[in-house]
Amino acid sequence: MDVGSPLGGPATSGIADALKGALPGGTGKASQEQRRVTLILGGVLLTLGLRRVSFGGAALALAGGALLYRELSRQSGQAGAETHMAEVTRSITIGKSAAELYRFWREGGHLPRVMGHFAEITETDMDQAHWTVRVPGGRSLSWDTRVVESRPGELVSWQSLPGTELPNRGEVHFRPAPGDRGTEVTLRLHFQPPGGTLGAAAARALNGLVPSLLVGDALRRFKSLVETGEIPTLDRNPSARASTA
Amino acid sequence: MKALVWQGVNRVGVETVPDPTILQPTDAIVRITSTAICGSDLHLLDGYIPTMVHGDILGHEFMGEVVEVGREVRKVKVGDRVIVPFPIACGHCWFCQHDLTSLCDNSNANAKLAEKMFGYAPSGIYGYSHLTGGYAGGQAQFARTLYADDNLFKIPGGLTDDQVLFLTDILPTGYMGALNCDIQAGDTVAVYGCGPVGLFTIMSAFLLGAGRVIAIDRFPYRLAKAAALGADPLNYEQEEVLEALKLRTGGRGPDSVVDAVGMESHGLGLGGLADAVKQTTRVLESDRPHALRSAIISVRKGGTVSVPGVFGGFGDKIPLGAFMNKALTMRTGQTHVHRFVPRLLEHIVKGEIDPTVIISHRLSLDEAPHGYHIFKHKEDHCVKCVLDPWAAPRQGNASGTSKAMGAD
Repeated sequence: MDVGSPLGGPATSGIADALKGALPGGTGKASQEQRRVTLILGGVLLTLGLRRVSFGGAALALAGGALLYRELSRQSGQAGAETHMAEVTRSITIGKSAAELYRFWREGGHLPRVMGHFAEITETDMDQAHWTVRVPGGRSLSWDTRVVESRPGELVSWQSLPGTELPNRGEVHFRPAPGDRGTEVTLRLHFQPPGGTLGAAAARALNGLVPSLLVGDALRRFKSLVETGEIPTLDRNPSARASTA
Repeated sequence: MKALVWQGVNRVGVETVPDPTILQPTDAIVRITSTAICGSDLHLLDGYIPTMVHGDILGHEFMGEVVEVGREVRKVKVGDRVIVPFPIACGHCWFCQHDLTSLCDNSNANAKLAEKMFGYAPSGIYGYSHLTGGYAGGQAQFARTLYADDNLFKIPGGLTDDQVLFLTDILPTGYMGALNCDIQAGDTVAVYGCGPVGLFTIMSAFLLGAGRVIAIDRFPYRLAKAAALGADPLNYEQEEVLEALKLRTGGRGPDSVVDAVGMESHGLGLGGLADAVKQTTRVLESDRPHALRSAIISVRKGGTVSVPGVFGGFGDKIPLGAFMNKALTMRTGQTHVHRFVPRLLEHIVKGEIDPTVIISHRLSLDEAPHGYHIFKHKEDHCVKCVLDPWAAPRQGNASGTSKAMGAD
C-alpha cells in the first residue's frame, strides 16, 4: 500500500486551517506526515490483529482497521494538531535480582526475542541495534538505536539515530521488589517525531492502545524468557482450523 | 489425530486435526489413554466463557503415556505414565514457588487478553478458551504438554486410569473446596451441587473432619450418590433451603457452605428466571449466581463461603449486605492442582478416597458429543463421562459429526 501522495488534498475548512496554522504541526506537510504515521501504525495494528486467531486479535484488527478507515476517509487538512509525544510506561515484577536482569538485558542477546512480536532486531554490538518493523504492502520502517546510558543493575536507555521516519527512545529500569519477589522492571518507550507532530499523530491515533500492548508484551516476554527460558507460544497449536494446520 | 472440537455455541464434534508437536524444549507429547468431560466444559459448550473459537480442541482432564520429550526435559521420560494437571505451571514464577499454580505468571500465552477481563492474568489451562492461553485440550488422542518436568506427575504402578484420572482437576478441586472451608472438627458443611466436584467436596469434607455434610441438589439420582457418601440430601425443589438448613442445624446455619455449581446454577422463581433470561444474551449477565447468593444467605454468621464452582464474568445481585453484616469469609480460585496431587495420591493408595465411584459412563472419543449431551441435560443418570480416545465407537451412541446440543 502506498500511503504517500494520494492522500494529499486541499484543505476544506478555513477555521480548521486557521487553528492548525496557529499550532505546531498544523502545516500541510506536517499534517500529511501525521496521517502517514497514523496509516502505518493502523496497518501494523491490523496486521498484528489478523495474525492471531483470538478475541484480542480481532479487537486489534478492528482497532487497526478503524484507524486506517478513519485516515483514509478523511481529508488531509482535517488532521488534528496536538503535539503530544507517544509515550508508554509499563512495569512488571520478575523473580531475579536487578544485577542478573541488567546482565540479561545488556549482554544476553535476548533483545531480538523480547521484541520479536513487534520488530526484527539485529544487535550490531553491545550498544547498537538495527530495528525493522514490517507494515502492510511490503513496506517496513527501520531505525538504528544506540545505548546512551547504562548503569549496571539500574537502567539502560537508548535512542534512535537520526534519519528515521519515527524517531524513538526507550529505557528500562530495574528496582528491587519487596520481600522475595525479585525486581520491579519498568520499560518506557517514547515515539517522538521531528518537530513534535508525528508522535502526536501516533499517540492520538492509537489512543495508547498499540504502544501499551507492545510495551506490556515486551515485558511479559522478557519475564518469561528469564524466569523459564522460553516464551509461551501457540504456533502450530493443533485445532480444527485450516489456518493452524 | 482425532479430537473433540468446539464448533460454536452448543455444538461440539469429533474431527481429524493435526498431531501436536514439540514447540519448546521443555514440552512433552502425551499419548492420551483416558480423558474426561468436566462440568466447566459445559460453560464452554454453552458459550458463556468468552473467546472460544470454532475448531478449538476441548478437554482439561487427561492422562496418558509420554511419547516424546523436548531436549530440556530432565525428570520426565518417554514411556512414563502421567497425569496432567489442568492449570499449567511454569514452576519458576513467584506464584508457582508459593504453591499457587493456577495463578502462574508465565504459562498464559494470552495473558493480555485475561488482563483486560480480570485485571491480572491467571495461568494457562489446556482446552479452556483463549482467555487461559488457547492451548489445545486433551479430549484428543495426543496433547502437547508444557513445562513437562513441573507439570507431569508420574503414576505409581498398580493404580488404574480410573483411580488417578480425576487428580487432574475435579478431585483436587473438591478437596480445595473443602479445605477452603477451614473445617473444624465436628463442623457442619453444606455443599451446593452434587456433580463430580460436589461429590469430591463431600468426601474431602469428611476426610478433613466435618461432623456432618448436607448435600443440596435437585436431581434425586445425584442426591442418592451424595447420600451414599454419608451426606444428608436436601432437594431444593422440595424444601426451602434456608429454612431446611436452619432446621437441621438448630437454627445456627452451616459453618460453611460450598458453591460447587458456579455460573450456570438454577434458581427458582422470578430471580432465577431473570438470571436465565439475562444470561442467554451473554452480555447483560454472563453468570447465574443463584447458588452463590443462597450460600451467602444460608451460611451461619461468621461462616465461610467456599467457591470451587467456576465463574467467568459478571453476576448480579450478590447479597453484599448479608456478606458484610454476617462477617463472612469467601475463598475461591481455580484449583492449585499441583499442591494437592501428592497427598491425594496417598489417600487413593491407602484406599481412603475412591474416585471411581463417580464414574457413570465410559465412552469412546467418537461418542463424546453424546457424552456432552447427557451430561448437560442430566440424562441417563449421568454424573461423569470418561472417554477412551482409542476405543472404537459402540453402536447407537456414535456421533462423529457435529451435533446440536439444544439449549436448557
